[in-house]
Amino acid sequence: MYRRKLDRCLWKEFDEKGLTPIERTTERLKAMLKEEKPVLLPNERIAYLRTVSELPQIYSDSEKERVFGKNVWGVGNVCPDYGSTISVGLEYQRNRCMEKMKTADEKQKLFLRCVVDSIDAVLDLAARYREEARRVGNDTVASLLEQVPAKGARTFHEALQFLRILHFTLWCEGENHNCIGRFDQFMYPYWEKDIQEGRLTEEEAFSLLEEFFTTFNRDHDLYPGVQQGDNGQSMMLGGCDREGRPAFNSLSSACLKASRELLMIDPKINLRVDGRTPADIYMQGTLLTKAGLGFPQYANDDVVIDGLVKLGYSLEDARDYTVAACWEFIIPRWGMEIPNIDALNYPKAVEACVEKLETYASFDELMADVKINMQKQADSLIEEANKTQIMPAPFISIMMDDCIERAADISEGSRYNNYGLHGVGLSTAVDALTSIRLHIFEDKDVTASEMKKAVQEDFARNPELLHLLRYETPKFGDAEEIPDQIACELLLGFVDCLKGKKNNRGGIYRPGTGSAMYYMWFGEEMEATPGGRRRGEPLETNYAPALYVRNKGPLSVIQSFTKPDLEKAINGGPLTMEFHDTVFRNEDGIRKVASLVQAFVQKGGHQMQLNSVNRDILLDAQAHPENHQNLIVRVWGWSAYFVQLDKKYQDHVIARQEFKW
Amino acid sequence: MKGVIFDSKEFTVHDGPGIRTTVFFKGCPLRCLWCHNPEGLSPEPQLMVSQNGCLHCEACRQPCSHPQCQPYGRCILACPKGLLQIAGKTVEAKELARELLKQREFFEISGGGVTLSGGEPLMQPDFLCELLDELHPVHRIVETCGYAAPEIFARILGRCDAIYLDIKHPDEEMHMRVTGKSNRLILENLHQLQDSNLPYVIRVPLIPGINDTREILEKIILLVSKNRGNLEKIDFMPYNPFAQAKYEMVDIPFLYEKPRDNDLS
Repeated sequence: MYRRKLDRCLWKEFDEKGLTPIERTTERLKAMLKEEKPVLLPNERIAYLRTVSELPQIYSDSEKERVFGKNVWGVGNVCPDYGSTISVGLEYQRNRCMEKMKTADEKQKLFLRCVVDSIDAVLDLAARYREEARRVGNDTVASLLEQVPAKGARTFHEALQFLRILHFTLWCEGENHNCIGRFDQFMYPYWEKDIQEGRLTEEEAFSLLEEFFTTFNRDHDLYPGVQQGDNGQSMMLGGCDREGRPAFNSLSSACLKASRELLMIDPKINLRVDGRTPADIYMQGTLLTKAGLGFPQYANDDVVIDGLVKLGYSLEDARDYTVAACWEFIIPRWGMEIPNIDALNYPKAVEACVEKLETYASFDELMADVKINMQKQADSLIEEANKTQIMPAPFISIMMDDCIERAADISEGSRYNNYGLHGVGLSTAVDALTSIRLHIFEDKDVTASEMKKAVQEDFARNPELLHLLRYETPKFGDAEEIPDQIACELLLGFVDCLKGKKNNRGGIYRPGTGSAMYYMWFGEEMEATPGGRRRGEPLETNYAPALYVRNKGPLSVIQSFTKPDLEKAINGGPLTMEFHDTVFRNEDGIRKVASLVQAFVQKGGHQMQLNSVNRDILLDAQAHPENHQNLIVRVWGWSAYFVQLDKKYQDHVIARQEFKW
Repeated sequence: MKGVIFDSKEFTVHDGPGIRTTVFFKGCPLRCLWCHNPEGLSPEPQLMVSQNGCLHCEACRQPCSHPQCQPYGRCILACPKGLLQIAGKTVEAKELARELLKQREFFEISGGGVTLSGGEPLMQPDFLCELLDELHPVHRIVETCGYAAPEIFARILGRCDAIYLDIKHPDEEMHMRVTGKSNRLILENLHQLQDSNLPYVIRVPLIPGINDTREILEKIILLVSKNRGNLEKIDFMPYNPFAQAKYEMVDIPFLYEKPRDNDLS
């Protein structure tokens, strides 16, 4: 009702004026913010609502390709340092730019000019919001805007309003998947001070926090993503500080509680834990899991920090990690990384071997071939990824790296410039290789040509073999030696494929265990696989048992999935498990789930997400969506309203194995 | 020593403290009308057919020559959805214990362990004793209906860490009618349990129309509280309304009829 479109064709105007890329980004932001009409909802205490619905193009397709080539990315999936700017204010940052301008060269001047223009546009909108707040009698918001975003925040409330403005502006500048980062760390000083000095009671502070959380849900239908909900508004809680001291605080607890009470898909909560994390924190996390939002997603500091250090991150930076949109581990402020640049397809590497299955004298020979296929895939992904260019983004640069100090746009690079590749379908590939090894090379109860033929025919004429492979052969997640060993080998194979590979931005390639949406795309186009997967069946999401598999149980799944050397494949991608909602019925059940997560962490798991689901309810929601408007599920690295998903994504959630009592 | 079990289920949240795995022994001396594990009644392996998802393709009705299918007159291996299964497999106690001990870390972290249930585990006493010994020092609960020779019951008391004993009805005659057996042995074993120092939990399944009156439940409480011993708690377990589906799977008639709501006192 408040929304309208920008009535200008920007790219044509920009073409005519011959604007440079950085000017285009800036001019669009200015146009967007200028067009924004301040709207204050009754009694709201944290303002800003998007009224301009669409972000107009700033290049024609041909111009874009001429400037950047075919592989162009916007800045996104990075985590800005909101905290510093919130503490000093935008005028201060503007002054720094003006000061810097005195000694800058032409290119630097252009960047600084764009930052200043962007800041002015933000301040202008803030001033108009302030006037509107006065006009409608909302003195609370009006007086907040007297201080922020021009000057640094002094109170928790001001800091929340400031963060809202910054985050709002990133979307308007055109960044995608704008993470929130370690909110409980950079906001804690304001929270603690207000409560300690009696400016806010704990209840008042909590109520503001809840209102702030709702702001992430106001405009999120406008944010770009593969599916509604895939918007990257991830928040990281807990963990340790840059010196390694435990950092979980009263604000972390309050965030878990707020999320549990609000039952909204944003912000998406992540919780850092390690081997020393007390059981109580797992309990708080599990209470949120029970709420059915599909979060928190857990990350294990013991594995992640060591893994990042081994990839070349400094210890202090590694300790400060957060997640990008889904689960990719990134460093706030210091990373201009693309952790989701592409994906390796494990089962595809096996598929090519099935075509010449009769020619292998041993399983080892076949494994060697699988690895060669993986290397070929990786090489071609790398070749493509190394053509990547990133479009400039001067406003977010204020909060990235030392961009103002260096007078350089973040898109030009930062301390960390790595690319991450997902590894998709590990379990499906492991199950296929387990079948081949056991039946063809060990038990010899199936011949190579029989297997090949059945797979090519999608088992249409050999249902018994399908039964044997699909239901009677050990799977990854059964805590059986052979599949577990193959999984370890395949994962390390992927790690080896990327070892020593450099990207075109001075960074390296990080292997991961995530899938993003590729589980759907890859599965749809692939033939049957020897583990008993039928043609076209989707692959598993992230790091999870194959979709059609019914494992022995959650303990076996955790045993299997903590065996591979996850520290070496630390781009991110969680073990994903679904529990029937009745498991969480009482406190005892909740405590048990909490212990299970703790066991996963102590056994060296890297990342985990849990869904509390009920298949009957999901099926009913497909039949009667009108009755389930608020039903939420975890999809691949984010949570969404079930009824807003495409049916194939709904079906995938329904098909996952559900652990009951 | 070999035994027959019909399931080993990880992360059972209603069978004792902490993270547990429950092993279900096959065979039970009672025939409780409301039993929710009908596949645990017979000590013999039997065919279980899930109806949910059946394509009615009749592939399982085609003749086959697999030895494992012969006793059942259906082909287990032909189902494209894997809906036919055999409930009941013979396992070696030491082998089963070895598998369960792989999960020790989970048990230790959570104060959990293994629960031996059924069916009725005391129907396979030698197998049960060996399994309990092999599982030491993992925390072991035996979940029993209590219908066993007192000597057998005594053997178990010395080998586990807690007993979960079902008391279904305090009156002998009614007990006969709804379970097929007298409750005398059960009560005798209850007293034995109370005299031992072993921690125990009494579980009472609340069956509408059978034992869910105040009078009956008070009688049960009285029975237990006369000599409490090391009683931890009395659990009243809600009736499982989904039990009927499993009867269809094993092709056993479901005789219990839940009274209509207005019949309840």
